[in-house]
Amino acid sequence: MSNRSKGWGIAAAACVGIWLVHNGSENVTPPVPSAAQAFAAGPSVHTDAAADPLPPSVPVRLRIPETDVDAPVTRLGLTADGALDVPPAADRNLAGWYEDGTTPGAKGTAIIAGHVDNADGPAVFYTLGALKKGHRIEVVRQDGRTAVFTVDAIEVYANKHFPDRKVYDEADRAEIRVITCGGGFSKKSGYQGNVVAFGHLIGVK
Amino acid sequence: MRTTARLLTGTALAVAAIGAFAAPAAYANDDSWSSNGESWSSGDENWNSGGGGHESLELSPSSASPGETVTVNTLACGKHGHGVGDANSLGAGEFQLKPSTHKEVVVGQFTVPEHVKAGSYGISVACDNGKTAKGDLWVKHRGPSGHVQTGVGGSVGPDTAQVTAGAAVLAAAAVGGVWLLRRRASGAQGH
Repeated sequence: MSNRSKGWGIAAAACVGIWLVHNGSENVTPPVPSAAQAFAAGPSVHTDAAADPLPPSVPVRLRIPETDVDAPVTRLGLTADGALDVPPAADRNLAGWYEDGTTPGAKGTAIIAGHVDNADGPAVFYTLGALKKGHRIEVVRQDGRTAVFTVDAIEVYANKHFPDRKVYDEADRAEIRVITCGGGFSKKSGYQGNVVAFGHLIGVK
Repeated sequence: MRTTARLLTGTALAVAAIGAFAAPAAYANDDSWSSNGESWSSGDENWNSGGGGHESLELSPSSASPGETVTVNTLACGKHGHGVGDANSLGAGEFQLKPSTHKEVVVGQFTVPEHVKAGSYGISVACDNGKTAKGDLWVKHRGPSGHVQTGVGGSVGPDTAQVTAGAAVLAAAAVGGVWLLRRRASGAQGH
């Protein structure tokens, strides 16, 4: 190999190194749901019929097999300004259920929230934005039954334009909402929005 | 003819008699039902009210959330009357009712405590005149509003593995470059 070609090889390696360092320095953010997963894109090809609602029973565990989520569920109230409270941030694998609302599987809208991350890194719902229509959300309840929901849509809302009624209003079948942070991140003001997974009950295990 | 007239009169009398008996009996029955119902729900209050029974209690709003103030008014206490309200069913204690600007109505208020479960709660008022009034308050919970604060950005940051790999490649290229330059320099000297 001539010195000249060795020189070119070293220059190319330097370029690759620069690119790696530059690209790697850019911030990695949690997965963002694609527009195809929103309600606006229409229902999923594979839509399961709604199952009959279950009698109320408190949730104890939440699983999303598709993204390997398997977390205990704690109870949530409201903050002083009426927002949904969140689970303690120190526990990275913990979901929370709004305890004055509907229990998962019962008729109405069960509300679950969890952290996308904490100060140490990704948390329970880091991958929520990677879910797709038709994926399953399973909630193990105190009565021993597991309520199985199918994902109807994954939407992203800016904090300032959060649609309370669409997310929190009681449905007339058994539905679920799983909420976490997302929609872009700014060092100054944190996450710019919420990712919300909408689902309805399709069966019981 | 006489027999027919007699028969008719007899029938008429019988009907009248049955009617006369039946009507008070029916009323008496109604009375006993309602007073029965009241004595079940109010217990010994009925003794004080002298059989006056309960009057209606107006709650505004009739459906309230924790933290909300409910205004109670009733005609039961009479003009310039006073009363004591009982909201212990939902843990709001007792409250006073005083004549309002409409003199025939007494008014009082209580606040729905923060940690009351949703559901129906009986509110009663005992008036100075011995009458009582009852009504039901429906407690509902405001759902959450607004977005949730579920992240601080701890997962957001540079891809350290990629940066490390890039730095390693750069270092290797630098070492290679120095080695090549040295060789070139020594080769030139050799000539």
